[in-house]
Amino acid sequence: MNLWNWLALGGAAVMALTIVAEIRRHTRTSVAGRRFFRHPTATPGLFVLAFFVTVALAAPLVAPYRPYQQIDIDRLADHAPSTRFLLGTDPYSRDVWSRLVYGARISLGIGALAMVVAVTIGAAVGAVAGYLRRWVDPALMRLVDIGLAMPRMFAMLVVVALWEHLAVPVFVLLIGLTGWFATSRLVRAEVLSLREREFVSAARALGAGTGRVIFRHVLPNAAAPIIVSAALGIGNVMLLEAGLSFLGLGVPSPVPSWGNMIADGWHKMAVAWWSSTFPGLAISLVVMALNAVGDALRDALDPRREAA
Amino acid sequence: MPTTRLARPLAALAALAALAGLILVAGCERPVGCTGEYCGTIVIASGGEPDILLPPVSEFSITRDVTDQLFLKLADLGPSGNTIGDEDFQPQLAERWEWDAPTTLVFHLDPRARWQDGQAVTAADVAFTYDAYTDSLVNSSFRSSLRHIAAVTTRDSLTVVFRFRQRYPEMFYDAVYHLRILPAHLLREIPRNQWRSAALGRAPVGDGPYRFVAWKAGESIELAADSTFFLGRPHLRRVIWRFTPDQQVAVTQVIAGDADAVEVLVSPDNVQRARADTNLATYPYKGSAYGYVGFNLAMPGDTTKPHPLFGDRDLRRALVMGTDRERLLRNVFGEFAKVPPGPLSQLWWIWDPEIRELPYDSGQAARLLTRTGWTDSDGDGIRDKDGHPLAFRLLLPTTSAIRRQYARLLQEQFRIAGVDVQLDEVDFSLFNERARAGRFDALLNVWNTDPTPSSGFPQTWTPAGFGRSNYGHYDNPDVDRLVDQAVASAANRDQARRAWRAAVETLNRDAPGIFLFATANVAAVHKRIVGVTIRPDSWLALLRTWRIPPDRLTDRDRVER
Amino acid sequence: MAAWLVRRLAASIAIVWAVATLTFFVIHLARGSPFLPEQSQHTDLATLDRLRREWGLDRPLPEQYVLYLRNLVRGDLGESFGLRRPVADALADAIPHTFTLAFAALLIDFAVGLALGIYQAVRERGVGDIVLGNAALFVNSMPTFWLGLVLLLVFAQRLHWFPVGGPSDPVLCPRVDSLPCLLDFAWHLTLPALTLGLVGAAGTARYQRAAMLEVIRQDYVRTARAKGLRERRVLLVHALRNALLPFITLVGLTFPFLLTGAVLVEWVYAWPGMGRLAVTAILQRDYYVVTGAALVTSAMVVLGNLIADVLYAVADPRIRVRGA
Repeated sequence: MNLWNWLALGGAAVMALTIVAEIRRHTRTSVAGRRFFRHPTATPGLFVLAFFVTVALAAPLVAPYRPYQQIDIDRLADHAPSTRFLLGTDPYSRDVWSRLVYGARISLGIGALAMVVAVTIGAAVGAVAGYLRRWVDPALMRLVDIGLAMPRMFAMLVVVALWEHLAVPVFVLLIGLTGWFATSRLVRAEVLSLREREFVSAARALGAGTGRVIFRHVLPNAAAPIIVSAALGIGNVMLLEAGLSFLGLGVPSPVPSWGNMIADGWHKMAVAWWSSTFPGLAISLVVMALNAVGDALRDALDPRREAA
Repeated sequence: MPTTRLARPLAALAALAALAGLILVAGCERPVGCTGEYCGTIVIASGGEPDILLPPVSEFSITRDVTDQLFLKLADLGPSGNTIGDEDFQPQLAERWEWDAPTTLVFHLDPRARWQDGQAVTAADVAFTYDAYTDSLVNSSFRSSLRHIAAVTTRDSLTVVFRFRQRYPEMFYDAVYHLRILPAHLLREIPRNQWRSAALGRAPVGDGPYRFVAWKAGESIELAADSTFFLGRPHLRRVIWRFTPDQQVAVTQVIAGDADAVEVLVSPDNVQRARADTNLATYPYKGSAYGYVGFNLAMPGDTTKPHPLFGDRDLRRALVMGTDRERLLRNVFGEFAKVPPGPLSQLWWIWDPEIRELPYDSGQAARLLTRTGWTDSDGDGIRDKDGHPLAFRLLLPTTSAIRRQYARLLQEQFRIAGVDVQLDEVDFSLFNERARAGRFDALLNVWNTDPTPSSGFPQTWTPAGFGRSNYGHYDNPDVDRLVDQAVASAANRDQARRAWRAAVETLNRDAPGIFLFATANVAAVHKRIVGVTIRPDSWLALLRTWRIPPDRLTDRDRVER
Repeated sequence: MAAWLVRRLAASIAIVWAVATLTFFVIHLARGSPFLPEQSQHTDLATLDRLRREWGLDRPLPEQYVLYLRNLVRGDLGESFGLRRPVADALADAIPHTFTLAFAALLIDFAVGLALGIYQAVRERGVGDIVLGNAALFVNSMPTFWLGLVLLLVFAQRLHWFPVGGPSDPVLCPRVDSLPCLLDFAWHLTLPALTLGLVGAAGTARYQRAAMLEVIRQDYVRTARAKGLRERRVLLVHALRNALLPFITLVGLTFPFLLTGAVLVEWVYAWPGMGRLAVTAILQRDYYVVTGAALVTSAMVVLGNLIADVLYAVADPRIRVRGA
């Protein structure tokens, strides 16, 4: 870690603080915003997320080494944390900090993308089911029941077992496809109550088609459960990806992901605990932040609930 | 909140529970169990599991470790490890032998030998075994080692006659080392092509020092000592192999005291931890293994066509020259291995660091690649030619931490040279299937060699091993010729050495693989087990002489089952 | 009530059937699957013949599907090539191990979670509440396998307080048939159950705290306090009883989590349950085992939900009247 890296890291922290401050400022006037920040863990959670995202984006600036770089395989492997290697090196003499930072791109990226897929499908299905009722609703909800029957991990294991050499984009898509069921239920519940409201009948009276009503009028008002699902969903995806990569079934070597970093260092845990410990800590921190923000969002956006 | 009223009855309850627990545990009768010289259980932690316990159809060294306790050979290697002539061999199934003629060897079986179902071991069993090992339906990998034997016949129930095609120095070794004598009366009925899935292979009946007890797939194999074994009752009453997902977990179990022995400690820090452990004794011994990246010279799935990448000799040579084997070795093994000058293990007498091989020269490697048309025309860091990137998949098993480590190190070395390598990490049994079927681009393999190169080398690097150990389909008539010459002149050390050296140097020029390491093994065995002698070619060969002094028996050792 | 039960049962069976059908089609779409006769990689001829006969591997797809369903109903889930035994047998051996692990984890989960949640609710906004609350949030966010690795390293490898894995000592206790062996089993069970249970406990604690707080503020609690009942009685009898109701749903929700988390925990601790069986099978491309395990897991999740629904209906009369 040289001076520029430290400066960049400091800059990222400052940037994250600024982002959080800006968000606070802009939401001070809204009721939801005030309710959000009343949670003691909301601000730290937002900061952690902003920090990790900033660091991930600024990876080349913050990381002193490239993620694949095996620096000196016979002298610097399994090196303890020091001033040169902030979090030590792994058994292949790769800088753990650099891999952590680049791994953030992969792990956070997979989390976000898979979540987008899952939430999009879940929201669409839930909205259609809740709005159309008739036979569409029970049919779709049976589909959801089937989807909820198989634990996500097992579904992914089955898929990975049957397809060899899964490309990462397909992997992300599949994670998304296995995770939209809970969201659809939430959205459906919300839409069920919304469809009786006046703005819906007004839109219909004006001649809007079903699709338009659903996607332009109803869904935006059902945003609350969607947003909360999204926040919590990323955390679940990150944990799932970490587990699969740990088993060797996720992101392939040498691409760093927090999950396969834990796998790389597992066998040397007794003599070099840092390779596996820090990626795990990173996952825990980010998921914790996501949980905190998700909780705060749920309380902020749901007008009927009382703050606990 | 006032808690005193609730606290008192709770505390009383806790005390009562603790007292009851103490009484129960203390009052438990310690089982008296086994006492004396012939007790003891040894738990061996192993990162791999046998496929089938029938010697002719399996190549795994873990299988061999188990079957060597169940089945006897006619004679076995002595402590010197000398494979020439017959003076240094020890009688096993055969109590004595003589040469009727220069190419006729007569064995006299020990009349005391019995199969574990009571039947006597006869010469007919030996003849049957030879027939099975050389039968193409059984397709044993040891078949080519026995090609110099013309016939095996029986003179009477205890006399067997081996007739050879010609005279050569390692005749006796070939006759005895690979043949594990099988029970003809039990195997005769089973069709030869079904031996690989025979039920007898899951519950074998042998004549060795130990008898089969149980095999829990994926978990353990248990053997029990045969107290009537004619060569001396084994001291250790039971032997249990415990299977772990990989070798590193096996080492962890031994260090934690959950297992008693492990064949190889794998890495320098493991050796350090084992040495620091007061309960373990470490035993260094000459390594019989060498590891390499093998290229598939034929097209996966169609051996008549050359591999699109590795059919090109220059490409292979470039890849070998671009690999810094010394540094890779130091990362993985520290000082516990050496870079071999060819497909050799440290056990082999032909080991010679002076043997000429391709040097590590990344500059020359790069130039060679460019000269053969592989350039990075699209700037993505990976070389390409005619629109195809220089990319291949490396096959390796998940059970070996060493190979996993090498794979990742190699991946990066190749990436810097402009070669894209993706890793195929599969289970050990799947790895072996794919290797034998030739369904791979390159694989990371480790061979546990025989004490002499005469049988193993041709099997891996000449056409005699096609469909068996010669996974990469390497074939060079010059090498074949030189190997034959070397084997024939084994008695004359200098002549043989020259011939072997020429053979290895010719092979090195063809670069059928990157020879990465030749191990120097360190085993760890619990200190209470004494009399531990390890033969480098098969570490458990002398297991029946290991023992636990009666005053060092633990609870595990006293179990009577 | 009875009609409702029958409807739910029928729905559950339908869901399991749907999952089985989906699994069947997914396998057939995959290349290299042993369901396709020419793709078989294994040399065990006798087994291959039997499979060909009983599963109709060379028949057209609809026929294979019918045979597949028939075999499922008969309890035949195919053959494991890696373990050389019927999948149903392998699963039958593995399921009890997963169950004991999940059950022990559930106990820890609820014991710790309940205690923590109540304590936090009572000491609301106090130092204890904040510290424990954040600690619980942190533990709940951890990857379970990572916690497992850390616990293994510290308590088993460094301190030697617990064994490094496995369900029992293979020499002394191959079967749990005596008290010392039971204790040995419990000793081996501790770390894996703690790993699974603690992560869940953190979540339970958060949930329980919120539930308790909601109830505490309600009128009938105030009434009880006004009546002069002692604090402890108020808490334990009134508040807790009503906060416990959603617990049943919590069990239903926790169960799939346990089954999922168990996969990785079993892998780390070499615990011979369904999760480890499934992962090993994947690495060996032992397809029948993978699909069998997935199917059985789904069936267990559906069953768990059904039981949870029934318990809920029994406990809360409002549900019954609504006729959900």
